[in-house]
Amino acid sequence: MNEHKPDELRDHVYDGIEEYDNKLPNWWLFILYGSIVFAVGYWLVFHTFSIVDLPSARYDKEMVKASEEQLARMSKQGLTDESLALMAAIPAQVEEGRQLYATYCVVCHADRGQGLVGPNLTDGFWIHGGRPLDIHRVVTDGVLSKGMAAWGRQLGPTRVQKVVAYVLTLKGTEVPGKAPEGVPEAAAAPPTAAPATAGATGNG
Amino acid sequence: MQATTPVTKRVVYDDEVVRAFSLATIIWGAVGLLVGVLVATQLSFWQANLGLSWTSYGRLRPLHTNAVIFAFVGNMMFAGVYYSTQRLLKARLASDLLSWIHFWGWQAVIVGAAITYPLGLSQGKEYAELIWPLDLLVVLVWVAFGVNFFWTLARRNERNLYVAVWFYISTIITIAVLYIVNNLQLPTSLTHSYSIFTGVQDALVQWWYGHNAVAFFLTTPILGIMYYFLPKAAARPVYSYRLSIVHFWSLIFIYIWAGPHHLLYTALPDWAQTMGMIFSVMLWAPSWGGMLNGLLTLRGAWDKLRTDPVIKFYIVAVTFYGMSTFEGPLLSIKSVSALGHYTDWIIGHVHGGALGWNGFMAFGMLYWLVPRLWSTQLKSVRLAELHFWIATFGILLYVVSMWISGVSQGLFWRALDAEGFLKYPDFIEGLLASRFMYQMRLIGGLAYFAGALLMVGNLWATIRGGRKSTVEIEVQGYAHDGPGFWALMRGAPVLYSLAVIALSLVLFFSGALGSAIALAGFGVLAIAGALSIGMEKSRRSWHDLIEGHSLAFTVLVLVAILVGGLVEIVPLVVAKKDVPAQVAHADSVWAAKGEYVFVQMPYSPLEVEGRDIYVREGCYVCHSQMVRPFRHETLRYGEYSRATEFIYDTPFQWGSKRTGPDLHREGGKYANIWHYLHMIDPRSTSPGSNMPSYPHLKTHRVDLGATAGKMRVLRKLGVPYDEAQIAGASATARDQGGLIVADLATQGVTLAPDSELAALIAYLQRLGRGPQPVAPAPAAVAAREVAR
Repeated sequence: MNEHKPDELRDHVYDGIEEYDNKLPNWWLFILYGSIVFAVGYWLVFHTFSIVDLPSARYDKEMVKASEEQLARMSKQGLTDESLALMAAIPAQVEEGRQLYATYCVVCHADRGQGLVGPNLTDGFWIHGGRPLDIHRVVTDGVLSKGMAAWGRQLGPTRVQKVVAYVLTLKGTEVPGKAPEGVPEAAAAPPTAAPATAGATGNG
Repeated sequence: MQATTPVTKRVVYDDEVVRAFSLATIIWGAVGLLVGVLVATQLSFWQANLGLSWTSYGRLRPLHTNAVIFAFVGNMMFAGVYYSTQRLLKARLASDLLSWIHFWGWQAVIVGAAITYPLGLSQGKEYAELIWPLDLLVVLVWVAFGVNFFWTLARRNERNLYVAVWFYISTIITIAVLYIVNNLQLPTSLTHSYSIFTGVQDALVQWWYGHNAVAFFLTTPILGIMYYFLPKAAARPVYSYRLSIVHFWSLIFIYIWAGPHHLLYTALPDWAQTMGMIFSVMLWAPSWGGMLNGLLTLRGAWDKLRTDPVIKFYIVAVTFYGMSTFEGPLLSIKSVSALGHYTDWIIGHVHGGALGWNGFMAFGMLYWLVPRLWSTQLKSVRLAELHFWIATFGILLYVVSMWISGVSQGLFWRALDAEGFLKYPDFIEGLLASRFMYQMRLIGGLAYFAGALLMVGNLWATIRGGRKSTVEIEVQGYAHDGPGFWALMRGAPVLYSLAVIALSLVLFFSGALGSAIALAGFGVLAIAGALSIGMEKSRRSWHDLIEGHSLAFTVLVLVAILVGGLVEIVPLVVAKKDVPAQVAHADSVWAAKGEYVFVQMPYSPLEVEGRDIYVREGCYVCHSQMVRPFRHETLRYGEYSRATEFIYDTPFQWGSKRTGPDLHREGGKYANIWHYLHMIDPRSTSPGSNMPSYPHLKTHRVDLGATAGKMRVLRKLGVPYDEAQIAGASATARDQGGLIVADLATQGVTLAPDSELAALIAYLQRLGRGPQPVAPAPAAVAAREVAR
């Protein structure tokens, strides 16, 4: 098989069809072996060693980056509900907020926001309003009559915003703790009157 | 094995059934292309839906795809396989009865499809839409084909199997496996059933089937036909026997793994997506092996290119095969798929394959075969030349216009403005930009169809001028002198292949250490393989021996095509039991903290009926239900789709094409009145839309008496309906319909609560309301009670 002459006919003939036994072209072999090496390498990089992000992780980063860019644009227009909500979508900001919360807020509101001296931040009920700017105002100016300190001067505007961003992520987590106080935050009305299904298979 | 003395005997080939299949190819080819022209017209001019339920695009597009694949290429394949196999084996087809059962059974399947699809009877899985009684008929016919073929193989008078026959064996075996598994279903009535697979599993099984229908229905048998008819027509030896061996085995082994490339960036687990992609990339060289062996066989016959239309058709066919099999791996690369998937690029790709490769192979074969079957000359070579040029112009115009519109759609959908938001927020903008290309596509399709009509006339005149031929030859049997089955199974190539497969599995499913061991193992195998070259002493190589043992060959083919499917599908089917646990963790910090349980709610009775209407009308041919994890998709549609949201979806309806927008997050996006107006006249709410109108949904009533029966079947598939829900299905459905029509009544619209439109609206409003929180933990409930 090794000594090989081009265009040498095999001795089999099928209904008049003859066959050569020519060597495989080198460029074709290169594609064959190259694609196999690529396939093994791709698997090792993406799965065995997880060096490169898979789609969901890539998506999360894409979204965070977009939020950061948008926040940079919006911060020129001053503080809004939207800009605070955007901060809450950026893990790095939320993490700094969590650390600040763990230092300054945990004493009254407990480790998961379930409330101790201060109210439960997770139950959807708010005494002074639950919109991002409402929460920001309470953290900055405090509510002296209820024992909530004004943190604006101590923490400064940037850190206050980060704490608020973290508190926004606690919203609706419903951690059992202090009983609800205040009024429920008006749930955003569903955009359509999609009919509630009668019976036990309803989709709520 | 006993050595037998060769005996001389006479063999008369059965060419009557070949003639029948050839005529069927000519007729169904024209029909399939005609329906293609009609659906292309509908995409350009919505009026061509004719306002009738049974001529709407959603029902005719499956008719077109099935007619071209199973009626046109199917009959062509059977004609080519039966003609060449008899001659390559020097044996008459084993059973005339089976041949004719095969022929008439297949035509019955086609007629059945042509009747049921326009009636809206469909399983809702692409290229597998046939309802279950027709599926059974397909299986019976395929078994008749298989028995007839392998029986002929057993009675052959040629010791070794030629490469064409290898490809035929792989076709018969693999299509049987694919078709049966993908069509496992539980009937609810004579014409309706639910796939036994749901959601992600159904998607994986469907595209394992769908992709390999391309591989083993449109590729392997046609390659076999190429290996017979091309050297015959060119009167040249095949370029390389060893290339045949290498590309045959690598092709059939690798192809079967590549299905998940249809599901990149979907809710399919990442590991399965990656397998689909890397095996598609590895498929490039094996596919090009076939193209090379075809093109290089024509060396020394290039002069015939000027004079012989048959050779012209073959050259363009093989060139299109090479182009499509380069484009396929390219489109399987994830970042390319991100751009091209759901767009017209894919439509261009499949037509390059179906019209360029399959169609031109069929035309070349027919122009060569028909004069021989009727012992005459082709009536007009000049008309065949004209056909060639018109068809080439048509397919090029078709493919190029679809490339342009496809890539522009992909760019439209993903374009973001300077602020990072959608540049073209309305989906219709991308469609309107494609309109000119849709018209170019129609012209291309018309040209291709016109060329086919020229062929019909030319061959008709040829047949009328000829008379049926009978071919009789004198053959000698051969001595059965090879080693037995088990000796062949212990051959070095088998052992090497098994070792490579085993090491690959270690590489796939183990950590860093296992991967290192597997890679080292590959190195050892490579060295051992290199050292063993030239050590083979026997006169006949192992492959030469196995070509003489059809059972051993067939068993190895079966093993080769089963590995990929088993590795990809079994883990997902076994994982079914884990789904509820995953649901409990679904996508939220809430569940992680354990206060809420997330449950995917089963469809209500009316939603079940609405979903069946969605399937019946073929909505999935233009609308996907799969939001991919890209910012531009979640901005347009909403949160990206998760696997757990589909556990009650049977059949899955992820779709593969977005002529219209994705619908997975459609629920709650628009008011009921919007859906009502949109279904009656899509252009009233979406100016410029090419969607058919569905006014008949307003008058047709849902048979709510059948709903409970459907829910019982769904319960068998794992949907947790209780007896009370099933017993009250009809009343519950009427109540839900009542809420919708009451809402519509406030806008001055009257609709019956059990109308099909109400059911469809119920389903559309339900779409994409993923796992939902139910039953807050008792502590939280208690706290709320205190608050009140």
